[in-house]
Amino acid sequence: MKPDERIEKAIHQQLSDEEWANFQEEVIKDETLRKAYVEAATLHGSLAASRDLLPSLLAEKQDLNPSKLKSLPWAIAAALVLSLIAVLAFRPEKNQEIVATLSEATNARWAGSELPTNKGAELSVGTLQLTEGMATLQFESGATVTMEAPATVEILSKMNCRLLEGSVVADVPESAHGFTIKTREMEVVDLGTRFGLTTSEFGHSHVYVFEGEVEVHRSKDEHPGEAQRLLTGNALHIGETTGPTGDEEIDRRSALDTEEGGWIPFPTFVGRGKDGYIRQDGSTDTKANEPLLMVKHTSLAPGNERRTVLTFDLADANLSEVIDAKLTLETESSGLGFSAMVPDSRFALYGVIDDGLDQWEETELLWQTRPEFSAPELSERSFKRLDEFEIKRGATPSTIEIDSRHLLDFLKSNKNELMSFVLVRETDELDKQGLVHAFASKEHPRSRPPTLWIRKNPTSAR
Amino acid sequence: MSEETPEPSAESYLVLLNENEKSLAAYVHTLVPNLADADDIIQSCKIVMWKHFGSFSEGTNFLAWARKIALNQILNYRRSEKRRDRFSQNPAFVESIARELDSQTESPDRRSEALHQCLQKLPDAHRKLILLRYYEDRDIGEIAILTKRTDSAVYRLLSRVRASLSDCISNTLSPSAL
Repeated sequence: MKPDERIEKAIHQQLSDEEWANFQEEVIKDETLRKAYVEAATLHGSLAASRDLLPSLLAEKQDLNPSKLKSLPWAIAAALVLSLIAVLAFRPEKNQEIVATLSEATNARWAGSELPTNKGAELSVGTLQLTEGMATLQFESGATVTMEAPATVEILSKMNCRLLEGSVVADVPESAHGFTIKTREMEVVDLGTRFGLTTSEFGHSHVYVFEGEVEVHRSKDEHPGEAQRLLTGNALHIGETTGPTGDEEIDRRSALDTEEGGWIPFPTFVGRGKDGYIRQDGSTDTKANEPLLMVKHTSLAPGNERRTVLTFDLADANLSEVIDAKLTLETESSGLGFSAMVPDSRFALYGVIDDGLDQWEETELLWQTRPEFSAPELSERSFKRLDEFEIKRGATPSTIEIDSRHLLDFLKSNKNELMSFVLVRETDELDKQGLVHAFASKEHPRSRPPTLWIRKNPTSAR
Repeated sequence: MSEETPEPSAESYLVLLNENEKSLAAYVHTLVPNLADADDIIQSCKIVMWKHFGSFSEGTNFLAWARKIALNQILNYRRSEKRRDRFSQNPAFVESIARELDSQTESPDRRSEALHQCLQKLPDAHRKLILLRYYEDRDIGEIAILTKRTDSAVYRLLSRVRASLSDCISNTLSPSAL
């Protein structure tokens, strides 16, 4: 075949698949062929772009002045009006077309939803809020999106959805390449793959490619035309954990005033109380003032190992009268990692026996500056393992309550008023992108901070 | 949609779009030979451009901005295509063509003006062919039947028409050739 003919055939898509693939390869490599092709394609492009005008341009009558029509002001005005209609007509509209099916639901519980939530339900455009368990959406395009509670997904079309909060794992077959999931921070376009995406209300989004390739467009990008490609094993994190915006002030009094059943709360913000977490990444930025306290155990990516340190000031409590104690933590979505990659997880709470270790500062709390807290095995001389608890995979945010005899004994035996604890996860992850567990800190805008509760003998209480 | 551009910018968007629409369409059609695919892409470009119009700084080159968005739409489209047409483009191919187009210097407006003049100089048989192929969107096989030619004769003819139009356009654009 002569090169010339191939160009013509390429432009009119008459080459066989194989010929076309070879032709493209050659055009990439061969500058002469490329220039010839571009010249032909450019002409084709100009003709195609003008094709509505062709009948008038090519009319038998030679005297038609083609520029006459263009110069008429009303023609421009009319074109503007038509374009305006075209633009305004494009408004997202609710339509009842079925775009997905709720194909699987495991221990799923849903918040009030505008869409049906029974297994097998046919879903149109709308929002689904999963509060517990896991659920899989099978899109008509072939893509499947598995939601891990808590997660909120807005179904936009067969090829689009928006992740408002939480984590999803998307599996996209070839038929659905181009399937797009949006978050506040980014837009992830699938190019044939399995990927996970997670986002949190604190404004970070994290995408991880298990297999294949995705393209990420940052929604805040100045240049919407630019995109970032991620391949298997690549991850991208956008947004840092930021504190409350200031719109919502933390109501600290309410936490203090709530005495339930004689329980007196001592949250970490009382007195010299403090909370923070350390991460084995060599970073010199402390995690002071973050709304979330993170905990993770991993042998796959040691830099992601995280532990939380808590100190409560019990100066106002008369410890000798205490008959009961408990510690509560509110679990939160960290927006980092995926539940699917971590089994049900066991956590251990250690009490700090060495009173010298109560004197840490949030602004200097780092993995490397606090070897006592970061030691692979916490020393038995300075720490006592008080209790353990489990967080199930895909569990909804809830309150963890640690209420053991050992905790009370620990408080009673402590010689000063500062009670410190280290929280570690003992369960390892299955993949480097396993979930990071998080708990509300005292900076969290809504949730109760870590709180130590004590109950006194009723007769001795005033 | 989360980031809607305030309405006052609608007018300036439409003016810019109107001025550049044809050049943008020519760009997309050059990169995407399939007419229907290119039309879909042009439509989605207009929507994306409208959504992101806030990020366009007025006074800078609108067409360059639009082409950047279009190229991205093209690269994405290849994969989102639901028709499962056997015709698919290699992204490296698209990018190499796009680079070549970026190095072209003549203004697309002058090019299109020249094309319009040159079309009027075509002999009738050639005009008919152009109309069948582009206006009526007929494929080569159909044109062959309608014009009682063989497929390869249609190619050769199209190729000749293209060559003569190309020559005419470069003569019109470059004064030295007059």
